[in-house]
Amino acid sequence: MLSSAKHKINHSAFSVSSSSSSLPHSYSQAKNMTQVTMEEVWKDINLASLHQHRQLNIDHEPVLSNQNPNNSIFKDFLKKPLNQEPQPLPPSSSSSTLHRSLPPPPPETVLSLNPHSINTHFDESARFGCFGMKRGGQESDESRGDRRHKRMIKNRESAARSRARKQAYTNELELAISHLQKENARLKRQEEQLKMAEATQHQTKRKLQRSWTTPF
Amino acid sequence: MSVNNRDPLVVGGVIGDVLERFTRSIDLRVTYGQREVTNGLDIRPSQILNKPRVEIGGEDLRNFYTLVMVDPDVPSPSNPHLREYLHWLVTDIPATTGTNFGNEIVSYENPRPTSGIHRIVLVLFRQLGRQTVYEPGWRPQFNTREFAALYNLGLPAAAVYFNCQRDNGCGGRRC
Repeated sequence: MLSSAKHKINHSAFSVSSSSSSLPHSYSQAKNMTQVTMEEVWKDINLASLHQHRQLNIDHEPVLSNQNPNNSIFKDFLKKPLNQEPQPLPPSSSSSTLHRSLPPPPPETVLSLNPHSINTHFDESARFGCFGMKRGGQESDESRGDRRHKRMIKNRESAARSRARKQAYTNELELAISHLQKENARLKRQEEQLKMAEATQHQTKRKLQRSWTTPF
Repeated sequence: MSVNNRDPLVVGGVIGDVLERFTRSIDLRVTYGQREVTNGLDIRPSQILNKPRVEIGGEDLRNFYTLVMVDPDVPSPSNPHLREYLHWLVTDIPATTGTNFGNEIVSYENPRPTSGIHRIVLVLFRQLGRQTVYEPGWRPQFNTREFAALYNLGLPAAAVYFNCQRDNGCGGRRC
């Protein structure tokens, strides 16, 4: 049933492509095709997701396949804060009921949109993997994201420490250089002065001079 | 020499994590063998097995100083929940002399970091006079700021720090 729906969209997409050859991607065409039916659903879900600070519930899974929110929501999924408990907030429950009120059409069209909307290397199994969250693989997926998130933070801190270390050492070297340069200049001047003093001393010594005469 | 934001002690986080901002008022020279410690230098544990030579400046032998040596990155810089570890504590050091002339309250324990790259800080405080300093009961979770407040040591007179990581690999990563 799903596959037949997919093929239906496939065909329609190709038929559209023949008419409007300017659009290279069948994905956008598919979007146009289903725009009328899907738009309301997407709008509702998007608004709901905005209200929820982008808490990624299973309800928002379909959003992954949509064009624009795809990028933003996916990124948010990756840097999702440590939201472990699936707390059903009031807005989320309302959106979930909204979603569940239209059971067959959205999932169908979502699945059918897959080959068009997402890059070729996202295969069906990956999608079902994400949908597997619904079935109860929820824990591992979220904790994996958490661990990744924590690791990323730790790595950032470590990188910052490393940069600070490097910078501190560099500054210390620069200070030392400046200090040594000044001292070097000072010592050179001192040497010059001593040389000159010695030179004048030599000159005076060449001439014999009476320094003291006895009184008698 | 006034402390600005480019000061290695600030950039390295020593001012902030361990000490308050201060203006250096006396010379402090720490030497391990032939190596003089400059801020941010990398030194391995094998090179700091024994206590360093510490020489302080100043002019008046009647001024006394306290030296504190701590590691703020224990057990690891990413998770320093045992900050700070007290490695050495010497009091009543007369100006122009060194730690050999002082009172070793807490004996030198050579740093042996297991995880990460640790900063080892040596701080010099000026004492108001000769004073009795009681040894802290334990080395971990020492707090230099509190210690200074407790004995009215005020702001540091001088400080230097170096980096230390374990001799053979795995210093930066969990094994």
